[in-house]
Amino acid sequence: MHRRRTSLQFGMAFVALCLVVSLAGCSQKGEDTASPGQESGTSPLGPISAPAADQQTRTVAKPTVRLAGGNTGLPNPFKHSPRGPGMSKMQILYDTLLEKDEHGDIPWLAESWEVSKDGKTYTFHMRTNALWHDGQPLTAEDAAFTIGYYREHPPVVNDLLIGGSYIVTDAKALDEYTLQVTFDKVSPTYLTKIGGMRIIPKHIWEHVDDPIAFTGAGATIGSGPYKLDSYDPQQGAYRFIAFEDYWGPEPAAAAIEWIPVGDSVLAFQNGEIDLINAPADIVPSYRENPEFTVKTAHSFHSYRLMMNMDAVKALQDANVRKALVFGIDRQALVDKAARGAAMVSSQGYVLPVSPWYNKDIEQYPYDPDKAQELLGGATYTFSLLTDNSADGMKVAELIKLSLSQIGVTVNVQSVESKTRDNAVNTGKYELLLINSGGMGGDPDYLRTIYGTGGTTIKGWSDPQIASILEAQSVELDPNKRKELVYEAQKLIADQVPMIMLHGALDNFVYRPAKYDHWMFRYDHSKCDHNKLSYVIRTESEQAGQTT
Amino acid sequence: MTRRSRDSRAQGGRYLLVLVVMLAINFFLPRLMPGDPFLYLSVEDGTVSVVFSQQQIDHYKAYYGLDKPLHVQFGGYLLGLLRGDLGYSIYYNTSVTEMIFTRLPWTLFIVISSLVVSSVVGTALGAISAWHRDGMLDRILYAVMIVLSEIPSFLLGVLFLFIFAAQLKWFPLSGGRTVFATYGSVGTALGDILHHATLPVATLAVSRVGGFYLLSRNSMLTVITKDYIRTARAKGIGRRAVIIRHALKNALPPVVARIFMSLGGLFGGAVLVENVFAYPGVGRLMREAVGNRDYVLLQGIFLTITVMVLLMNWLADIVYRKLDPRVAR
Repeated sequence: MHRRRTSLQFGMAFVALCLVVSLAGCSQKGEDTASPGQESGTSPLGPISAPAADQQTRTVAKPTVRLAGGNTGLPNPFKHSPRGPGMSKMQILYDTLLEKDEHGDIPWLAESWEVSKDGKTYTFHMRTNALWHDGQPLTAEDAAFTIGYYREHPPVVNDLLIGGSYIVTDAKALDEYTLQVTFDKVSPTYLTKIGGMRIIPKHIWEHVDDPIAFTGAGATIGSGPYKLDSYDPQQGAYRFIAFEDYWGPEPAAAAIEWIPVGDSVLAFQNGEIDLINAPADIVPSYRENPEFTVKTAHSFHSYRLMMNMDAVKALQDANVRKALVFGIDRQALVDKAARGAAMVSSQGYVLPVSPWYNKDIEQYPYDPDKAQELLGGATYTFSLLTDNSADGMKVAELIKLSLSQIGVTVNVQSVESKTRDNAVNTGKYELLLINSGGMGGDPDYLRTIYGTGGTTIKGWSDPQIASILEAQSVELDPNKRKELVYEAQKLIADQVPMIMLHGALDNFVYRPAKYDHWMFRYDHSKCDHNKLSYVIRTESEQAGQTT
Repeated sequence: MTRRSRDSRAQGGRYLLVLVVMLAINFFLPRLMPGDPFLYLSVEDGTVSVVFSQQQIDHYKAYYGLDKPLHVQFGGYLLGLLRGDLGYSIYYNTSVTEMIFTRLPWTLFIVISSLVVSSVVGTALGAISAWHRDGMLDRILYAVMIVLSEIPSFLLGVLFLFIFAAQLKWFPLSGGRTVFATYGSVGTALGDILHHATLPVATLAVSRVGGFYLLSRNSMLTVITKDYIRTARAKGIGRRAVIIRHALKNALPPVVARIFMSLGGLFGGAVLVENVFAYPGVGRLMREAVGNRDYVLLQGIFLTITVMVLLMNWLADIVYRKLDPRVAR
């Protein structure tokens, strides 16, 4: 009996010891099989790291930029997780025909391009000195191959598929560095779409049938300014190192590291990470301290109140919808819910920070008297579906408070966020509160929401708005297109098919003494997501010559 | 003997039945959750997400077999299981089997280490307490242990994190090992891993030690009133020898059974503690999977934990029978 007990405990201790050794052993293994850039971190436990690369970074006086990590998938176009942090890591590794700066699209792998007379065929002249991370030259053949490959195997970010059809009808390499792409129709948005396509190396992917299952050598070989050095999915850690043979602007950091952190503000204070998107309440303390720089940009997201006109007949009356806008104190949402780090949105949908924004439309200032007048003494009771986030519930309660002043009773119903998201599609709601994005860049997003076939707004459609939105989507003259987009905003604001509330501002804080290259793209507000935040740009490049 | 084997066969049958029921629940439960894994309409923490077109959602559903009727999916799931294939994570686009088995050692490591620590310490303290019954030492130990056994492990974890990692900086705030570290030797690698594991293991051990203490104390109290203990003392055997050789030995069976029974509960505790310390085990993976509505990954994790718990309970049954022949009768 006695012996059995001790052997049991010895047994358990032995198992525990074996586990420790196996954990340690695996990290050892990672070290042995190091092969920078080639491996994709598929070793069972440890990351793959290259001691050689380590020494190299030490000889260069550039900083290593550290950011908050987390596993966001293997950074290639097929396997990254479908959110910003996953998408952006992949984008740093993989280059495109065009890149995006503060003002618009800029030449990148394509130095210049011509458009055919009918507007459907684009000829891109590509750089002759671009290399893949494995040293192979990047040619027009790779780009043409990518377009064909994406048709069969859609990447996570799939801009070339619109409304169920692939927008490219033909893509071929005219010679080594000339790419010709033919589209299905004329559209002012196609250049940006093809320009943002991540080009993948033909010599690797032509042998791959199932890109989602592929993790072998070359799965992360791109052509961007950094290459993957280490990926540890368990710890959620990534390290990218500068690609010395990069054709373009010099990498500004020796390496970019995403490391696991518990609390990002604490980690930033301790100097463990170099950039945070700071909560509104602590931004002022950073603004006062000269050690830090605060960079503010609109998040290109906005809270919106959706109204189900299928389910609630009363909402079919435009006056009721207008009364609701006049009756909601949206500045209070900015001040109280967002603690000042937000901006009241426009009823024309396009954000006030966009170059496409029409300011000469109905602004709907908070006016409870006017709201009551529009309601004509009628009172209503609606249920409002929101998610159970602290922020969402705060906004919902403030709306309830505002609307109670004009005789509209709101019953707030808070559910888990995915349930709420699902309700948007199924239409099981009366009023619904949601914070959505995708409001940066080209205003063609108006068409998908307010245009023909849009299913976002239940029980509403307007033929005039739909036809204007259709017209702008094929108008190549920028001035004429701007007029159409302006007109659409005015009409949308008069109809109020959906109440736009307020959009958050991002406040990025960093220590400029350590790293000062952070920038905002014209269509994206997260500076740690932007490729140009990691390269050295000249003054004139930053001033911007856009297409 | 035949009766015994029939007994254990019946017991094996019961475990199999539980397993089948668990498989079914495991498969259908995530699919009953509201929400669609490919639908990202909103953002929670200021991040940006890809909005999939309906065509793309359809493509992915077809790729992962989610467009088929439920019973066909269930059949495919069972067939896959027989081959050890848990499918592909729909969020990370990675093999679930691989994801879980790279995380499992981390969880097993902290679970087993904390079990060893808490059972040894708890049993020893329980024995000491019983020997000094109603003395000062017994009263203090009893009070402390009662309190410890009632504190939820994650709360204890937050407390430890705050004191020992954030304030005193003795231990790292998060993670299972130093990121990007290249170790010179197995020794330094081991040291690094142990250093990171200290707080999670301590948290789990402290939250479990009270249970072992109470059980061992009770068991000892029953045993030391027995005649053979009086006989042993009368023989003039030293106190220590009486406690260890005569009393503890007979007081142990319930404690040993408890060790195996508590493995199941410890897995539950580890899920919470791993999230407090950002420890790279299965528990942390589970939280990510829930947040991302990754059905396939969730299923895989639940299945793994279920099988582990069942296995441990079964083991506890067997060991208990072996230790205490009265139960097997």
